[in-house]
Amino acid sequence: MLKGVTIFTTNTCAYCQMVKKYLNIKGVSYEEVNLDENPHRRSEAMEISGALTVPVTVVTKKDDTREIIVGYNLSKLAPALV
Amino acid sequence: MSDKIDLYGADWCPDCHRSRELLDSLSIEYNYFDIDSSDELKNKMLQISGGKNVIPTIVLTDGQILQEPSNPELLKALNLNPEEYKQDKAEKEIRDLVIVGAGPAALSAAVYTTRERIDTVILEKGVIGGMAAVTDLIDNYPGFEEGISGLDLSDKLEKQAERFGAKVEFNEVTGLKLNPNKTKEISLVDGSKLVARSVLIATGSDYKKVGVPGEAEYVSKGVHYCATCDGAFYRDKNIAVIGGGNSAIQETIFLTRFASHIDLIVRSSVKASDVLVEKINEFVAQGKITIHLTTVPLSFNGDGKMINSISLENTVSHEKKTMPIDGIFVFVGLNPNTKFLQGTNVKLDNRGFVEVDSNLETAIEGVFAAGDVRSGSTMQIASAVGEGATAALKIREYLEK
Repeated sequence: MLKGVTIFTTNTCAYCQMVKKYLNIKGVSYEEVNLDENPHRRSEAMEISGALTVPVTVVTKKDDTREIIVGYNLSKLAPALV
Repeated sequence: MSDKIDLYGADWCPDCHRSRELLDSLSIEYNYFDIDSSDELKNKMLQISGGKNVIPTIVLTDGQILQEPSNPELLKALNLNPEEYKQDKAEKEIRDLVIVGAGPAALSAAVYTTRERIDTVILEKGVIGGMAAVTDLIDNYPGFEEGISGLDLSDKLEKQAERFGAKVEFNEVTGLKLNPNKTKEISLVDGSKLVARSVLIATGSDYKKVGVPGEAEYVSKGVHYCATCDGAFYRDKNIAVIGGGNSAIQETIFLTRFASHIDLIVRSSVKASDVLVEKINEFVAQGKITIHLTTVPLSFNGDGKMINSISLENTVSHEKKTMPIDGIFVFVGLNPNTKFLQGTNVKLDNRGFVEVDSNLETAIEGVFAAGDVRSGSTMQIASAVGEGATAALKIREYLEK
């Protein structure tokens, strides 16, 4: 079970759109942090992912464990949402 | 109670055919009464339906009466799980066309085939819109006088195809083979299989790697292949762009929104359209971009966590230098997405692109290719959508054979 999903995105990133599209299809609600609109949260995304890229998807499970998916990677994203 | 289901319908009624096909596929026996064949049957149907002229009117063995039910409604009335049925059907069903990829060539083909009511499945492993979707600005696609962003164009292509019933499924193709009965078996990464009468390979291409030390180690940690995705992390930073073609120049111009300075590393000379060259020269004049011609990267260097410098060599003077840099964007050409075709009978050229005849048909009959993935393609979105349309018409001809 999921506690929450947060995605770090930018306006121009096509892979971010795909993650959102996938979550919408699966009926998973999420919080979006748009780094173009919230540039002060860029370092947060970098710390979480260890990389300078978006999308970064943070899936928080019921037991508060977190799964971090860097990029649009269905083979990691799909199982993380179960 | 009766032994069999009674189905009142007519030959001209599509919903009656749909319900009958569903019952046939489940091997459920039923009595079919064509209400056009006698007034007696028509009156009986009216009696059952409470005077309503609605077909199919279906009487189940337990006496339940269904009027014009959807397939899920009929399945539910039969105590069957519509989800299971869907899965089961997908495995058994022979599709008319499977399109591999969902870029401009694929979506253009899908617009044509779905409008012709050709049963079409589109499979995409990455981004809908493909390479076009990750391109900042598309300035040479006809019909958009101000140019259009790659993301917007992809969105429009997808919505247009969806309007006629196309649906993109997120899955990756791992293999393709021809069955003795000429259908094609498509293997998917989740272990499932699809069977189709025809296939369109429209998997496009992906950015090439440079192949220098440090490149693989620092992917997304200073080394990037998508400016629209990762450019925003380089606000007020110094970056290098590798490449001298249209993509490299276009993306360098995009990156000037963020970076304070860009070193453009070009192996020989800039080979881009005049409009782009003029634009980039404006930035060179402003001191925002420095172009290093006849220069190749030797290595990307970092501290184990992030890139911090790049080593270069001038191919004429053989002078070597290392420059501090915050990030590197690579645009040095394209590789075809044809790994899944290795070991199949689809013929590839020496660079891995798919060879086709003048009908865009590959070495396997009924398997077509269009767009960037085709050997000899021009790597233009306008060409890709044209080829997608041509392929769709050739596929229709093939299916009619």
